[in-house]
Amino acid sequence: MILELTNRETWAALHGIILGGVFLLAFAGGLAGLWSLRPEWVTVQGLQERMNRLRLGVFSMAAVAWLTVITGTWIVYPWYRAKPPEGTEDLTDFPRSLLLSNPDTDQWHKFGMEWKEHVAWVAPILATAVAFIVLYYGKQLIVDKNLRYASIVLWILAFSAAAVAGLLGALITKSAPIQ
Amino acid sequence: MANIRVVSEGGETIDEIAWTAQELDIHERPNGPAVAAIISAAIGVFVLGLLTTLSEANTDVHDFLDIKNRVGPLSGKTTFSVIVYLVAWSALVPVLWRRTVPFASAMLVAATLVALGLVGTFPKFFELFAD
Repeated sequence: MILELTNRETWAALHGIILGGVFLLAFAGGLAGLWSLRPEWVTVQGLQERMNRLRLGVFSMAAVAWLTVITGTWIVYPWYRAKPPEGTEDLTDFPRSLLLSNPDTDQWHKFGMEWKEHVAWVAPILATAVAFIVLYYGKQLIVDKNLRYASIVLWILAFSAAAVAGLLGALITKSAPIQ
Repeated sequence: MANIRVVSEGGETIDEIAWTAQELDIHERPNGPAVAAIISAAIGVFVLGLLTTLSEANTDVHDFLDIKNRVGPLSGKTTFSVIVYLVAWSALVPVLWRRTVPFASAMLVAATLVALGLVGTFPKFFELFAD
């Protein structure tokens, strides 16, 4: 069996599966790292290793979130919204038009894509704020509960935005894939 | 070494490890830089929601935000939101860098901005203003 991806499918996979998937999967690690920065759960000896891992983790995830939305908006989305030439009957290569052509699927664009394309950008903005706080304050987060809890809330919000976008993206792709 | 504080609660004895900043060798920094980062991020989210709704409500705004034809108005919404976010951050940082500000009040402002931004990006909301 030969597995072959078109250029568009490759970019869609990079955007949705690789970058988006990495962000969503790594969220739990970041959350656990932030949550466990508690005096009773860390030792002085283990602290340095944990902080280095958390700094690298949140910085990487913020960067991945930016790459995900940039590739999605500027590379993949134009293929999704491309208008078919006049008289085109086979809309397979025009996912937006394909979804809108059928009353059973038009909500995937009108609600699903319209929400996804906007809310996805919330994730990198909020994740960047968390990355800055972790990088700048470091182990102060252990003794500063306000900052730690604020970071956790922002991290969960960033994940939630990415999860909504990722889930809708997967479902829309199932109905009208970019190929 | 960490302090181990013994606290009695209702007859029970609880061992609690209380680390102070000095024991962890932490030079405590003011919360201003964190507040600047959070408020500017909240402003970015708010502007994203605002532009999304305005783009739906007004065709002139819609056309203005269409800075890259292949991407459509989403190009302008996201670009201007990120620019406003970065400008807000760079404006707030010098003001708040060495300050400690009331954290709860700052978070209330941030939460309000983020909530409004999220509402503004929700289709069932911005479609109410469809031109």
